[in-house]
Amino acid sequence: MPASARLMTPDGGNGEVLRASLAYMVAGLLSVLLMGLLGLLMRVDQAGMLVISPVWFYRVMTLHGSGMIASVLLAAIGGIAAAVSSTTRLSARALWIALVIYLMGNGFVVLATLVGGFAGGWTVLYPLPEHGLIWSLGSALAMYAGYLFVALGLLLFCVHLLIALARSHGGLTKALAWRYLFSFGRDTRDALPRPVELIAAVIAIDGIAAATAGAIYLVPLFAQATHLVTSVDALFAKNFVLLFGHTMGNLSIYVTAGLVYAALPAYTKRAWPMTWPVAAAWNLIIPLMLLNYSHHLYADFAQPLTLQLLGEIGSYAVALPSFIVTIIGALALMYRSGMRWGSASIFFALGLWGWVFGGMGALLDSTIPVNQVMHNTLWVAAHFHTYFVLGALAFALAYLTYVVEMLSPLAARRGSDAAAWLYGVGGAGFVLVFFISGANSIPRRFAVHLPQWQPYARIAVAFVVLIALSLAWISWDLGTRMRSAWRATQLPSGES
Amino acid sequence: MSPHVVFVTLIVLGAVWTACWAFVLVRSRYPLPFEQLERSETTIRLVLLGGLAIVSIVLFAVTIRWLPFPNTRIARVGAPQIVVRAVGMQWSWEISRRELPAGIPIAFAVGSRDVNHDFAIYDPGGRLLAQVQAMPGYTNHLVYVFPRAGEYTVRCLEYCGLGHHTMSVRIIVSDR
Repeated sequence: MPASARLMTPDGGNGEVLRASLAYMVAGLLSVLLMGLLGLLMRVDQAGMLVISPVWFYRVMTLHGSGMIASVLLAAIGGIAAAVSSTTRLSARALWIALVIYLMGNGFVVLATLVGGFAGGWTVLYPLPEHGLIWSLGSALAMYAGYLFVALGLLLFCVHLLIALARSHGGLTKALAWRYLFSFGRDTRDALPRPVELIAAVIAIDGIAAATAGAIYLVPLFAQATHLVTSVDALFAKNFVLLFGHTMGNLSIYVTAGLVYAALPAYTKRAWPMTWPVAAAWNLIIPLMLLNYSHHLYADFAQPLTLQLLGEIGSYAVALPSFIVTIIGALALMYRSGMRWGSASIFFALGLWGWVFGGMGALLDSTIPVNQVMHNTLWVAAHFHTYFVLGALAFALAYLTYVVEMLSPLAARRGSDAAAWLYGVGGAGFVLVFFISGANSIPRRFAVHLPQWQPYARIAVAFVVLIALSLAWISWDLGTRMRSAWRATQLPSGES
Repeated sequence: MSPHVVFVTLIVLGAVWTACWAFVLVRSRYPLPFEQLERSETTIRLVLLGGLAIVSIVLFAVTIRWLPFPNTRIARVGAPQIVVRAVGMQWSWEISRRELPAGIPIAFAVGSRDVNHDFAIYDPGGRLLAQVQAMPGYTNHLVYVFPRAGEYTVRCLEYCGLGHHTMSVRIIVSDR
């Protein structure tokens, strides 16, 4: 079978879906590069090496945060669409429409921050967007509009994905393997979904929940901005914006974990079939992913105690199925497999390391007494940058590399493996400096760092440069092979 | 809880994880039929599941006593003897009393006049000791006992706009 055909449906009809998926991945990863440069600019400023004004720092910070979350998720969902498309009939038109809406949202965010001067942070924490003192209400509304479009694009994608999976398996419960799950693996009358299909269904459900939370958050804010209501409860707003934003961030890592199930077996030459632990773990993720956002509200003492404790319990609980099933499963797949090493498998391995190490930082921080001395220091930035740089982004790069390898006849450049390892070294150093900074109580989101804090940022800059160099090489390598990969998606099944 | 203890914990856990990860990567080059490994994988999973579940439950139970919320703090350190009103606003703090004694429970009643802020107490060495959100429409109570005399700094740790990084104030703590 030719390489390109393995990614296609039996009737060869998903070439258009693959093209749309590639567009998601490429647009997402290109945007990640730009957002990463903004991140570098922020660290250079905090290091005192190139001082930008606080006005611009906070604009850049707002764009970097919101843009990075949206970009990584975009690349991730593009990957998952490609991964399920070999067995699930997706509509290329629906994917393109969702992409356009999603990118329109990103466009509004760019306009709001760079042109409108909005600098309210990615959390757009009410009432700051309407009380920024230096930006107009119009720019805040543009930011809200951006989030609304992103939420709508995500909603459309997730609804379409969920319907397609349900149709493909004869019902949603079958796509979620419930009969198999609740019979403890004894009832196998239904054809079981592949792990990546089950994961796609799980993230589609949580994606719909996150997008709905975003809409619930934005509606009263629009109403307040247009004087339809006088005020919005600050605690309500905080809960919903974090349910939206935190779940968006979480989705990135879980979606890309699905890509590990889809592509890692190609390198280990071992199958990763649906098993009862996989079904149980991923069905558990559905409620648990929606609970753990509240660990960001421990310092809000007005939050009901039940929700506070649920935040800690949910944070511990969500780690167990992910670690026991996905991480251990991936390591078992790799162990003594005679693994085929290349840049894709290196990125997969780095992603596993980063997911666990970032998870450790997150778990410590989700312990309420620890959070008392870590919340809103750079420790918080450390844990989610570890998830993103060395977790979700590494997995997304791995999967894109895998797809390009499958579709393009051109081989990877010689230096790409070294570039992938360099990415790991740069990423690990970069996040470690964040963790050390957090342990030294350095606040996050400060445009100006005290002289005693600046050395940490200087060290971080060096590691970010390593990341930038490695990504430049990887982008060049993938970019030169992308054209032939794109052309291969136009081939009917059976031709190479 | 000291942030440095937390960091050392992370490094120890991270080193163990990195060693296991590196071991798997190195051994991935030497193939063995998967059937010979499946039973070990299941055993490892069950042991880890049991171990981590027990650790999580114990950690949760132990930390309940150290919750920062007012009732738990009062149960541990006693009822507050002084109440200090602290109001955050873009970009300064209005604090009813800035000279305070060490060694006795103090309740900071923290609110906000405009947007969300975070009332975070730093010790003279620059270490974060305790914090609570300052929210519009709410008053949060942070009960705290200053361990020793010195010049403490209150910083805002919730991003609140252009002057966020400038929003700090000194508190002088003296021995009784």
